[in-house]
Amino acid sequence: MHMAALKEEVAIAPAPETGAMVRLLTCGSVDDGKSTLIGRLLWDATAIAEDQRAAVRQASQNRLINGEKIDFSLLLDGLQAEREQGITIDIAWRYFETAHRRFVIIDAPGHEQYTRNMATGASHADVAILLIDARHGAKRQTRRHAAICNLVGIKKVVLAVNKMDLIDWSEQRFRAIEAEFRVMAAGFGFTQVAAIPVAALPGDNVARPSSAMPWYGGPTLLDYLEAVDANVEPRDAPFRMPVQLVLRHADFRGYAGTVASGRIKPGDRIVDARSGLGASVRRIATMDGDRAFATKGDAVALELDTDLDISRGAVLSEMARRPINADVIEARLVWLAETPFDPEMGYLLRTATDLTPVTSMSVSALVDFETLASMPAHACTVNDIADCRILLGRATPLDLFSDLPGTGNFVLVSAVDGATVAGGVITWAQSGASTMGDNVFVLNRELLSRGLCSDLGDSPADLAEFHRRAQEAAILLRSVGIPVLIEI
Amino acid sequence: MTALVSHLKLLEAESIHIFREAAAQFRAPVLMYSIGKDSTVLLHLARKAFWPAKPPFPLLHIDTTWKFRDMIAFRDRTAKELGLDLIVHTNHEGLARGINPFDNSPSVYTDIMKTQALRQALDAGGFDAAFGGARRDEEASRAKERVFSFRAAGHRWEPRRQRPEMWTLLNGRLGKGETVRVFPLSNWTEGDVWRYLALEKLDVVPLYLAAMRPVVQRDGQLIMVDDDRMRLEPGEKPEMRKIRFRTLGCWPLTAAVESDASDIDAVVSEVLSAKYSERAGRLIDHDQAGAMEMKKREGYF
Repeated sequence: MHMAALKEEVAIAPAPETGAMVRLLTCGSVDDGKSTLIGRLLWDATAIAEDQRAAVRQASQNRLINGEKIDFSLLLDGLQAEREQGITIDIAWRYFETAHRRFVIIDAPGHEQYTRNMATGASHADVAILLIDARHGAKRQTRRHAAICNLVGIKKVVLAVNKMDLIDWSEQRFRAIEAEFRVMAAGFGFTQVAAIPVAALPGDNVARPSSAMPWYGGPTLLDYLEAVDANVEPRDAPFRMPVQLVLRHADFRGYAGTVASGRIKPGDRIVDARSGLGASVRRIATMDGDRAFATKGDAVALELDTDLDISRGAVLSEMARRPINADVIEARLVWLAETPFDPEMGYLLRTATDLTPVTSMSVSALVDFETLASMPAHACTVNDIADCRILLGRATPLDLFSDLPGTGNFVLVSAVDGATVAGGVITWAQSGASTMGDNVFVLNRELLSRGLCSDLGDSPADLAEFHRRAQEAAILLRSVGIPVLIEI
Repeated sequence: MTALVSHLKLLEAESIHIFREAAAQFRAPVLMYSIGKDSTVLLHLARKAFWPAKPPFPLLHIDTTWKFRDMIAFRDRTAKELGLDLIVHTNHEGLARGINPFDNSPSVYTDIMKTQALRQALDAGGFDAAFGGARRDEEASRAKERVFSFRAAGHRWEPRRQRPEMWTLLNGRLGKGETVRVFPLSNWTEGDVWRYLALEKLDVVPLYLAAMRPVVQRDGQLIMVDDDRMRLEPGEKPEMRKIRFRTLGCWPLTAAVESDASDIDAVVSEVLSAKYSERAGRLIDHDQAGAMEMKKREGYF
């Protein structure tokens, strides 16, 4: 390879319309042959190093799982604890590429007790492969997997109907499973649903077309993945860039961030969604030189013609279609922590770059995986998907997830130990909660310094203790029904 | 071989995003600079993330005193040229006890001179976040690593207590006693690192490029003789071979490969068609099953 050729490719070929990199989520359980399917895909379609192939052959013989055959799932097993248990409990990331494309495989566990792991993995994916055992068809689990994919915003799913060899390559059976799934998926926001009959162990329709199923005229799994369009953003999406930090150097003052949606170029008018102050983009600065434009995913620094005096947490937006400067939101979330939701606890809302204190939060419903209906509820715990209402201590700029995923998602953080307790999508948002917040008790620095924290000084240890006491006081007040806002 | 490079800009943007998130959220970050190709890419991305300002954190190198001489020269030149703060730390207690890669097993040597040394340096500097060049494609236990990898007090890595990471949201709020390792190259592969080095025309330690060098063959591995501390077994005699390194660590513990790839483009071609995985040349990882996982639990990055 010559440098000139490399450079030229970058210069003249912007990322192809279908995306240079595709992130795939694989959902299914060990029983469905998921690890075998991915292992087979890697084995057939990629340049696995010889020492790894040899190790897998050796281990297959030691285990005698498939007799003489290779146990492709050995390519995937990760942590020692999991190898011993023979199950996959965490998300594993794999990378492979073909001549056309780079793939990221996000391998998430399938069992119900790992819903949170699956939701976490799914949030990174462009496309989901839903694996079904042809002998059993779609199960409750498939429905749950589809619901989670839908929740985190996956738009494209491919149904891999596996173990076709065990049902005599029956077209009738395959079509029935496909039809059943299409009915189930109709209520979701998927824009594309494909179904492919495969047999992972012998490799049929994984990377090579099957001769056993002449009735199937569609692509192999690999063909499908090489062609699928990973981009989901509409062409005219509004510009958003959450500010990560402000870069200062000599006369330079640039707002650094990653474009969350839309497109920007020098001369465009933008607005800080929180203050409503506007400015024009003077430069899109990078170490490689100024850019003529920036689009979704680009990490840049914007220099403006006016100093907006904004900092981390601000969202720069186009003028016309702005984020909602909201202090009350409704959201659907997946509870990730082992500790259940506690209305008296202190939580923080982590959006793209902002961290906002939660004044109060309540759960209104849980999603039933059997019916996919919302059932009224007031509690939620690990692996639950819940609808909730959150009052924020101050307004923060955000969007509805269905409009703009990059500024419409969040994680909920425990104010006490920093743990990520839930991840969610915003379904409704409004500014003006403060009008209904007349009875919010504000716990401020002055109030605390006067009494509870009067013995504390300015050392880092004392400041940490100050924060701890503030949180504890807030928890006590919330426990007697007083909404609290900490402002210190 | 494929000349796929269009995804490199996506990876670059993702890494810059991670650097900026960490710099904004942590009080005292540091970049673990190990001089190798991954560190070279890591440092380059850090410069891009904060340009035109300098990266707002120092570099930290754990010097076991057994690094190749070429590496040390490269390290000092890089820090000087870029005008960056460089902290070099050696576990002097281990040195005083005479710990070395010939008399001690690789696991003991690594624990004392690398893992413990790193813990000492992080504690001494009061750092709450350390950037590292680890990639998920390197080894099985790393395939499940987070971008923000939390360490309990004592720098212990507990796989079951890692935080879920959803979308591109990174939660860096620390619990009591916790620190974080940050891995901006999580989604890069070895091939990506080399293609990026070529694309960005970055200098690497010359040992990555094939040249005639003195080696001995030991247990099927080629070990380079970097200075006169090399202890030869009876009958061993260094011979000149055309070799290069795919990964650089301490010289007696890092095996070379025979290669004709004497420039970066040739290395890219070689890596993309490689028959053997990268860490096959790292003697410390093969000590026992799950070796890397064990090391991580103890605080190795």
